[in-house]
Amino acid sequence: MTSEITTAAEPIRVARRRSIDGWRWAGRIFLTLLVGFTIMPMFWMVITSLKTGFAAMQYPPQWWPAAPTLDNYWRLLDPNGSVGRDFLRYFWNSMFVSVATTVLAVVVAVPAAYAFSRFRFPGRNFLFFAILLRNMFPAVVFLVPLFILMRVLGLVNTHGSLILTYLTFGLPLAIWLLKGFYDNIPIQLEQAARIDGATRFQAFFHIVMPLSIPGIIATSIYSFIGAWNEYIYAYTFLTRHDQMTLPVGIQRFFSENATDWPGLMAATFLMSVPVVVLFLVLQKYFVRALTEGAVKH
Amino acid sequence: MSSVQKQAIFRDVPGIVPKRPNLGQKIWKSRADYLYVAPAIVAMIVVIAYPIYYTIELSFFNTPASLSLADKQFNGIDNYVTILTSPVFWKVTWQTIVWTVLSTLFAFLLGLGAALALHREFVGRALLRGLLLIPWVISAVAASYVWKWLYHSDFGAIGAALVQLGITDRPINFIDNSTSALYSLIVVNVWKEFSFAMIMLMAGLQTVPDSLLRAAQVDGANPWQRFWHVTFPHLSGVSTVTILLLVVQNFNSFIIPFIMTGGGPVGSTQIWITHIYELAFLRQRWGVGAAYAVLLFIIMMTLGYFYVRALTRGDESRAGA
Repeated sequence: MTSEITTAAEPIRVARRRSIDGWRWAGRIFLTLLVGFTIMPMFWMVITSLKTGFAAMQYPPQWWPAAPTLDNYWRLLDPNGSVGRDFLRYFWNSMFVSVATTVLAVVVAVPAAYAFSRFRFPGRNFLFFAILLRNMFPAVVFLVPLFILMRVLGLVNTHGSLILTYLTFGLPLAIWLLKGFYDNIPIQLEQAARIDGATRFQAFFHIVMPLSIPGIIATSIYSFIGAWNEYIYAYTFLTRHDQMTLPVGIQRFFSENATDWPGLMAATFLMSVPVVVLFLVLQKYFVRALTEGAVKH
Repeated sequence: MSSVQKQAIFRDVPGIVPKRPNLGQKIWKSRADYLYVAPAIVAMIVVIAYPIYYTIELSFFNTPASLSLADKQFNGIDNYVTILTSPVFWKVTWQTIVWTVLSTLFAFLLGLGAALALHREFVGRALLRGLLLIPWVISAVAASYVWKWLYHSDFGAIGAALVQLGITDRPINFIDNSTSALYSLIVVNVWKEFSFAMIMLMAGLQTVPDSLLRAAQVDGANPWQRFWHVTFPHLSGVSTVTILLLVVQNFNSFIIPFIMTGGGPVGSTQIWITHIYELAFLRQRWGVGAAYAVLLFIIMMTLGYFYVRALTRGDESRAGA
């Protein structure tokens, strides 16, 4: 094909190549700047966490710590110190609430998403969009009524109040993502199983479920991260400090040690580790779920 | 779908009159289907429908600071009148608009740029994508503290760097200063959420057919023309959903202003949600807070209408395909 192009076309091709290279370079420069913007705060968080309180409060700042130390981390992770005891408790509280929310969200979202994808019952569309609309409402406006509701249910100052609330936070996107997954699984697979004598539930459980594992992983990451990072309800529903989750615990820590910036940066670093690791390891599922579920129109 | 086909078939057969089942029968027939969605629906009703009802009720009453519901007094639309006649309302609304529009605009543009730059395969692409997504994944509380430290008026890294680069004489007072605080927070917000737009648009870019782009190239379209006439029209659906979700998210922002400035200095970073929080929880003006929330519901339902419409448009085209 290239050999057929006449010499008259050559200058045009050269010019085109040059303009493509120009765009490619613009893309690279943009990407470099964006990566710099993205990692600069994370870089400074880590650098500060390696300084002593005295070294952090210098002007001009030490761009690289003169005497790097891990003391701030040891203090937070020492189960015998007073700071470490609190921090580790917050950490496990967060872990418990997030894992429980994630498990429940999957158990509730999988059948619902399957039904929205496969069945045609009256009110299906209405219910589906009613669930999606949950995403439109900010957490703050539900604080008062939910606080009263939790008082009625006897859940104030328990992790149950958070788990129930976070569950409904995560459900809309979970159901939406999973429905997209089920829409893409050919219905013929289930029909074949039904012909072979499986019940509808068996067909769902043995045929569809295994195929939707990537979607379930994506849903789990989303629920876990949402629960791990939630702040407002945890701040309102829990008043006893041995119940607190990390975001609230860190705020409490900071209000008591207002100038301990290195300690605070170490705490925010440790708090970010689980979600960042989980996300980076499993990001391909998450990206794929968004691609297949959300955007494939 | 199959029942429609069946009816169409029956209609052609003489002597058989298609009987349309009424709604009650239809619901009864698909009763097993509801079992699958019941847990989700029950959870949503308890945690959403009840609070909405309760908020609407509260907005028409004057409730004492103790939140003792037995003593609340009906006061009609007084709470709404209070809001709409207060000068603070217009100030906070303007700041909310600035916050929402600028955050959405820049998050979308950065996300679009990143999605286009990352669309081609190259070594380290997945790594870069993961790196850019970290701000979106970490907690807003952590991000707020990190940026608060970066903006620190005496020891902040950004202020010091600007001085060392010779751009300013003294460290800039980013967030303790009512003219720059709101914009400084918008930067944090954009940092936190641009990668959400990026990932949505990256997914959208995969739906652009390569053959069309190549055809445009053969026809002599330059990269800009290819983007504008081929890529962008294919992205319009995803872009609509992404922008709507960003608008909703930004309108409902709370943590970044609450942690970083608490709405100050002198109310310059107060936006709707932080203002509602202050009215209800710090000043115990439950009725006015609830009335604000109802106004917010109305705005959100309007946006929600467009959101659902943008989503169903995709659903229908998929069903038609």
